[in-house]
Amino acid sequence: MKETPLSNCERQFLLKAIEEKKRLDGRQTYDYRNIKITFGTDYGCCIVDIGKTRVLAQVSCELVAPKDSRPTEGILFFNLELSSMASPAFESNRQSELLVKLNRLLERCLRNSKCIDTESLCVVAGEKVWQIRVDIHVLNHDGNIMDAASIAAITALSHFRRPDVGIQGEEVTVYALEERDPIPLSVYHMPICVSFSFFQQGTYLLVDPCEREERVMDGLLVIAMNKHREICCIQSSGGIMLLKEQVLRCSKIASVKVTEITELINKALENDRKVRKDGGKFGFAESMPKERITALKTEVAPVEMTDIEEKAKEIICRTEAPSEVVSSPVVCAPGTGQVGEGLQNSWGLEEVDALEDDVGEEREEQDMREQLEEESRNAEKGDVVVISDSEEEDVVILHEGTQVKHVKKQSVDSQQLAPSTAKRRRRRKKQVI
Amino acid sequence: MHNARNAMEVESSSTCALREFGCEQSLLSRPDGSSSFIQGDTSVLAGVYGPADVKVSKEIHDRATLEVLIQPKVGMSGVRERAQEQCVRETCEAALLSSLHPRSSLSLVLQIIHDDGSLLSCCLNAACMALMDAGLPMGCLFCGVTCAIDRDGRIVTDPTMQQEKESRALMTFAIDSTERKVLMSTTKGSFSVNELQQCIAVSQRASEKIFQFYRDSVRRRYSKTL
Amino acid sequence: MAAGFKTAEPLEYHRSFLKENCRPDGRELGEFRATTLNIGSISTADGSALVKIGNTTVICGIKAELATPPTDAPNKGYIVPNVDLPPLCSSRFRPGPPGEQAQAASQFIADLIDSANIIQREDLCIESGKLSWVLYCDIMCLDYDGNLLDACVIALLAALENAQLPEVTINKETELAEVNPQKLHPLNVTKHPVGSSFAVFDNTIVIVDPTAEEESLSTATITVVTDEDERLCALHKPGGSGLSAEKLQDCISRAVTRHREVRKLIEEVLKSIKPQQ
Repeated sequence: MKETPLSNCERQFLLKAIEEKKRLDGRQTYDYRNIKITFGTDYGCCIVDIGKTRVLAQVSCELVAPKDSRPTEGILFFNLELSSMASPAFESNRQSELLVKLNRLLERCLRNSKCIDTESLCVVAGEKVWQIRVDIHVLNHDGNIMDAASIAAITALSHFRRPDVGIQGEEVTVYALEERDPIPLSVYHMPICVSFSFFQQGTYLLVDPCEREERVMDGLLVIAMNKHREICCIQSSGGIMLLKEQVLRCSKIASVKVTEITELINKALENDRKVRKDGGKFGFAESMPKERITALKTEVAPVEMTDIEEKAKEIICRTEAPSEVVSSPVVCAPGTGQVGEGLQNSWGLEEVDALEDDVGEEREEQDMREQLEEESRNAEKGDVVVISDSEEEDVVILHEGTQVKHVKKQSVDSQQLAPSTAKRRRRRKKQVI
Repeated sequence: MHNARNAMEVESSSTCALREFGCEQSLLSRPDGSSSFIQGDTSVLAGVYGPADVKVSKEIHDRATLEVLIQPKVGMSGVRERAQEQCVRETCEAALLSSLHPRSSLSLVLQIIHDDGSLLSCCLNAACMALMDAGLPMGCLFCGVTCAIDRDGRIVTDPTMQQEKESRALMTFAIDSTERKVLMSTTKGSFSVNELQQCIAVSQRASEKIFQFYRDSVRRRYSKTL
Repeated sequence: MAAGFKTAEPLEYHRSFLKENCRPDGRELGEFRATTLNIGSISTADGSALVKIGNTTVICGIKAELATPPTDAPNKGYIVPNVDLPPLCSSRFRPGPPGEQAQAASQFIADLIDSANIIQREDLCIESGKLSWVLYCDIMCLDYDGNLLDACVIALLAALENAQLPEVTINKETELAEVNPQKLHPLNVTKHPVGSSFAVFDNTIVIVDPTAEEESLSTATITVVTDEDERLCALHKPGGSGLSAEKLQDCISRAVTRHREVRKLIEEVLKSIKPQQ
């Protein structure tokens, strides 16, 4: 599906509003939309909402052989997907330019900043290491996917626990979650992306652009930073020239935003930990907004089972029992048999020539193929003796009257091609004889 | 929490139960219709786009083209998802009056949020709620019910992942709202004819509860006029 | 005239036949097309079978290979089925990666092998944790004229019953597998499921063994698979118009009869090739 195009007056309206330091949703220039983090029942699963943008992250792990160049390090793998649910313009399973860009940025932000201790993921040096896979699905696109994805990824990684492993000699046993408490990853720091969009060749700047704002912006600057005010990655795209002061100003804003967001993540993680420890209810089912009128929840509903058995018996009794008598198959040649008297196919049919008239190109092709095969067959003539020559008649007489049926069939249904198999077999036999 | 629930269900198995349901509609801003359906811990998010323009190669001259995508949480969708997509798509096609929107496309995307058993039935329920939210014309509603038969031959409706693993047969039906007929059926494991008929009967009973839930949530949604 | 009617109003054309309780090809509503089975069609495969139901032609070849068993189930082997619908078999299939129908059919066959327990996967293990058989069951459609699943199930079953695996021993000293191609053993096929497909016309009329044209005009298709104990292994109805429990019961009843018929066919054909070996 195509994206709805943005009309010129909409574009002008947006730009005008930005010039007047106003935003569509009433935010100030440096304001983020509301950020909400909810966790699933699984470890390493979270949904992050920034305003209406919604992203789902799930971390999973697997034991694999390490890379040859780094035999003692675990592998981190990121996979961001732009689901077609998020926007009609996204096509699932297609490598669009935006997708490649986002994935690359995510890798630079989280893998290259070495925020996860990959050495602790080594099980047997050079043989088995944990591969940590982060799947991020964009569920609703309302701008600023990058920030949402980076928050979701680092939150999920901090929330994730991998199963414990034991090594006895050469045997590596992976303990189930019930057997041994799973182990969290060691997270050194939490890099978080902050996006700045620029308008009018960099004159105006907005933090956390929404989808509309993204469509009219000239350029984008993404700064990934952790709460220690260390820049992990910085990227400017869209082809705008920025002054040194602008970048510095942005990094200052980013440091404030990152501190706020990190605090939020830690609080969310702490809450979830507490609920799990206390044995309370957790998971997405619990975080459903109950006060909204678009949402409804019910309790466990019992299903009546009283007269189920009678009902089932009644239905079975009312139906005719399957007939015991079945038609017997006809074995026309060793290894070939036929059952049923319905529409006959043309196997074991003598008169192939009768069909020759009403076949076009396909037949020619088939003939070509057959010729080729014949040649190859001639070469290995000796091996072909499979069918004894006595069954020549057997093949033809299936039932009395079948012959008649065949002929009738052919005249009625001119499209039915005799499969070349019949012909081939005949030829084969002649050669044998 | 899981264990507590399982223990409870085994005790009360003579009258089997559906886990607690939850549904939220219109929760995403971009799709034309969206819903999230929750059955116990199993959760599926659905989004519908359409009717919209269709690619010429996929155009059907007398009705709308429906595409269904099921996206697993981890990894790419594979053969299993393709088979499930087929089931969901053909069920939706039976319910939708797609001839009212000829030469257009409808696309339904289902994102698995959490799988704790009865996934396909949850997908069907989420799909139906999303189609309703999108305001697409439908001849009837449908719902999905999963039944498991455990080792002792007892029927468990809406099984959890654990119960699915312990079962010897598993069936998922889609039931329509007008005549309680079986729209879709897919099974795993072997079972007798009697067991099948019992499961169909149980699913038809269970569908009443689900349709009642549909009705309640729609009633709640339109309880205030804006 | 009739041909014009058929092209212009295919559904009306079929309806006028169904009204008289028969079908354009002369069959009754509950009648299968002639089913032809050839076993051992591919001499290079470990087991093979070719099935024709009317014009629908499906060939199945079984190739056995050795592999290490899966880590989560060290005493089991693998069975990997695959259904291929090449452009050769019908103009409706395009070249390239398998389409939805082919993938759904592959999944159906894989589920069926599991559900019906055709072969105990434990039987395929040679030494626990070290060596086991992988059975690649490649099913290819050569001519598509409806009722693909039935043909696939018969072809798979016959090919599995035809399959002969060489004896494999593990040499104690070298720890290497030694294959003895002289000693061949058949597979232990424990259950014999057979499928029957139905199509529903106009939400009411159920017909057996639909052709490709009937399939495309029908409002729903159902496949019922039963085994020799009259237990159901699959009731596969991927959507479409609704059916009551009674109607489904009729289908099951028909499927049981069909099972006996096909079972007999496979047995007879197997018997006919036995003495030669």
